[in-house]
Amino acid sequence: MQEGRVVGREASRDERSEEALARAEREAAEAKRELESLCYAVSHDLRAPLRAIDGFGLALAEDYADVLDDEGRRYLGYIRTSAQRMALLIDELLSLSRISTADLAPARVDLTAVALAAVQRLRAAHPQRRVEVSVEEGLTAVGDSRLLAIVLDALVDNAWKFTGKRARARIEVGTTRTGDGPAFFVRDDGAGFDMAFAGKLFGAFQRFHPSSDFEGTGVGLATVQRIVRRHGGRVWAQAEVDRGATFYFTLGSQEPHP
Amino acid sequence: MTTSDSVILLVEDNPQDEELTLRAFKKSKILNPIVVARDGVEALDFLFARGAHAGRDPSVMPQLILLDLKLPKMDGLEVLEQIRADERTRLLPVVILTSSVEDQDRLRGYGLGANSYVRKPVDFTQFIEAVRQLGLYWLVLNESAPKLAGGQR
Repeated sequence: MQEGRVVGREASRDERSEEALARAEREAAEAKRELESLCYAVSHDLRAPLRAIDGFGLALAEDYADVLDDEGRRYLGYIRTSAQRMALLIDELLSLSRISTADLAPARVDLTAVALAAVQRLRAAHPQRRVEVSVEEGLTAVGDSRLLAIVLDALVDNAWKFTGKRARARIEVGTTRTGDGPAFFVRDDGAGFDMAFAGKLFGAFQRFHPSSDFEGTGVGLATVQRIVRRHGGRVWAQAEVDRGATFYFTLGSQEPHP
Repeated sequence: MTTSDSVILLVEDNPQDEELTLRAFKKSKILNPIVVARDGVEALDFLFARGAHAGRDPSVMPQLILLDLKLPKMDGLEVLEQIRADERTRLLPVVILTSSVEDQDRLRGYGLGANSYVRKPVDFTQFIEAVRQLGLYWLVLNESAPKLAGGQR
């Protein structure tokens, strides 16, 4: 095992050797295929037991309601919600891994339109919320339109979600100069977070708030980071507890054009 | 034409999924007889009246085939391919009912002539609703292809 690893490392260092490069490419393609077939198995095989847990849980609640007391029925409810939640987690994990392997189809993308569409969708779903939104005109980038829409959707969703406890909230989407050069940003005045934990922000299934306060699976920002990285860019955040959060991202060589 | 005694062929290898699907039919008040085939070979044996099903009348075909994709021996797509390749079965409505929503499965499923592709929801309440709608559409609303004159065997 150890010997194999040493050989592998030397081979990857030898950049002038075309043979080594070809071998690395073959291995990468093989790893990608393995990942895809693993995902395929996961999507098929992990869902069947969950379906049984949920289905027979409901069957028990329906057919044996008279031999269960309130507490028993409540436990059955927990069993079913947990199975359904795990199904959701599996789906999100799968879409995260698909993003890592999907082929990019670069085109000019109207990010202003994407952000406005996300806001419109959220307003329709939560008509009672009072959120003032400003989206800078003419935000464009070159990238995969489907994936960039996922990025903006997730960041705007996040801003919307974490301002949920504000009577009046404010969300801003635009571009700014940062220490890293020009970047897109999505800013809110919501719950924010403690910068001490910022390092964990983009890990899959990491959550900063109890699900009783804010719903979610913790996959959104992990997805954002994968997509931004695949575009050669970087994503980071600035926040303060109860003072809101700002997420910045760049898209590699594509400088934002305000 | 549909009668309440036209048969549904359910191709499903997981016994718990089978029981849940049967329960979902019952809950949706779909009372048609359901034949269960536990793998791809058995499904084809039933359709072509051979093997364990050699005794049945091969001129009577199911009104609807619900086909799982991941099956032992012969997978669902292969079963579909053979159904579409045979004159006796090529026009039967086949609905793929599976856990997978992988692009490759959907593409190949439709490519091989599936009539519909439905993902089995984990939430059983949604599963019952999916089965109810499938039954309503394929057993009541949809008019299937007429039997060929001269009844090829």
